[in-house]
Amino acid sequence: MDFSSLVTAMPGLVSGMMLTLKLLVLAIVGGVALGTLLALARLSHNKLLSNLAGFYVNYFRSIPLLLVITWFYFVVPFIIGWLTGTNEPIGAFYSCLVAFMMFEAAYYCEIVRAGIQSISRGQVNAAYALGMTYSQTMRLVILPQAFRKMTPLLLQQSIILFQDTSLVYAVGLMDFLNSARSAGDIVGELHQFLLFAGLVYFIISFGASTLVKRLQKRLTV
Amino acid sequence: MISIKNVSKWYGDFQVLTDCTTEVSKGEVVVVCGPSGSGKSTLIKCVNGLEPFQSGDIIVDGISVGSPKTDLPKLRSRVGMVFQHFELFPHLSITDNLALAQIKVLGRKEDEAKKKGLALLDRVGLSAHAAKFPGQLSGGQQQRVAIARALAMDPIAMLFDEPTSALDPEMINEVLDVMVQLAHEGMTMMCVTHEMGFARKVANRVIFMDKGAIVEDANKDEFFGSPRSERAQAFLSKILQH
Ligand SMILES: Nc1ncnc2c1ncn2[C@@H]1O[C@H](COP(=O)(O)OP(=O)(O)OP(=O)(O)O)[C@@H](O)[C@H]1O
Ligand SMILES: [Mg+2]
Repeated sequence: MDFSSLVTAMPGLVSGMMLTLKLLVLAIVGGVALGTLLALARLSHNKLLSNLAGFYVNYFRSIPLLLVITWFYFVVPFIIGWLTGTNEPIGAFYSCLVAFMMFEAAYYCEIVRAGIQSISRGQVNAAYALGMTYSQTMRLVILPQAFRKMTPLLLQQSIILFQDTSLVYAVGLMDFLNSARSAGDIVGELHQFLLFAGLVYFIISFGASTLVKRLQKRLTV
Repeated sequence: MISIKNVSKWYGDFQVLTDCTTEVSKGEVVVVCGPSGSGKSTLIKCVNGLEPFQSGDIIVDGISVGSPKTDLPKLRSRVGMVFQHFELFPHLSITDNLALAQIKVLGRKEDEAKKKGLALLDRVGLSAHAAKFPGQLSGGQQQRVAIARALAMDPIAMLFDEPTSALDPEMINEVLDVMVQLAHEGMTMMCVTHEMGFARKVANRVIFMDKGAIVEDANKDEFFGSPRSERAQAFLSKILQH
């Protein structure tokens, strides 16, 4: 195997990986934040709120991610243009970011909801009895405990998201996989570049997954 | 101080509380007892609005708990509550457990809140454990911290829901001692408990509940001397055997 073309292509691959990781981190942050709000809405006593959140979750869990990505690619620039009143194109990165955030939020929501429900009602009562409001109770008492319990599941979901970011090739975004594919195409060594990309995805995902399992064990002990 | 007027509550078709009426005056200690499922916890949770009720009203220090206009968090911040399962916040150190609501609810400064927490921790005999986490303490110690946490809010009254029934026998007294001391200091207290020794020592009145209703509400001496209802007599003879 000849690695020289891989070495030459490395700067492109690294910048592709940077884009993948940037997309991943922002999507996790946004997805968990939105997912938490959805979880609180689903658990709310307000029927309308909880039904709306339930619909959102079921809807996004019932359609393919690829569809969301392509769909948002056309719709998001339009919506943002309409919101801000400008016609400037916002580009594939942001449309993908919004797509991932909103799609993953549906999955994060279910994890967060289970996490909140695993904290006993007595903790809520204790916080209320001290005079805390609903929002203080959630922020200071329930969510910190719930997130601690949920961390392994949230990370596991994020590893799946890491792999799914490769779907951005559909809208031409140069993430890691797309950079590898295009670099391989140019030098005519596509199979080699794809094997290399596969190896990188495997190492990162498997490594992270192993760490998560170890963390999970430590948390349950 | 606490006045419960004709309170009834239903879970769907099931009536948990039936026309409960009683009063706890300032400085009074009232013990609530009765068989399991008789509605003791429900009644005491109604007092600080943790449980809503459908009819009647409860007035705490002149404020109606049932009124939709009442600022419940504010009212609750003035009434301490201690639970059967302690309910310390496991993700926070003892110091932070004691300081959290003082800072976030009462708006006290952090050092002021911690100082106050430490003083109360000392009062329940646990100042050596300030930096620990709840999971590192025994049940009796956790419950004493929970009492200190409630006291840190300078409550006008304290509610206790079976504070010793989740404890191993050898830890019951350390918690009861703190409660007795509190009673002697003049704290207004409403205590759901089956510790009749505690009731004999400090209670002014004893309330006996059965099937959601208050069937006996008598002065301590009267209650232990000659409880009028048969059910109260049966209940008393049962728990006094232990
Ligand atoms: N959320 C609920 N939904 C329906 N029924 C409930 C609910 N909470 C309590 N109950 C019922 O209300 C009744 C009174 O409960 P409560 O907890 O007040 O009794 P208790 O006197 O405190 O009993 P214990 O001594 O076991 O603590 C019980 O029959 C219980 O099953
Ligand atoms: Mg009870």
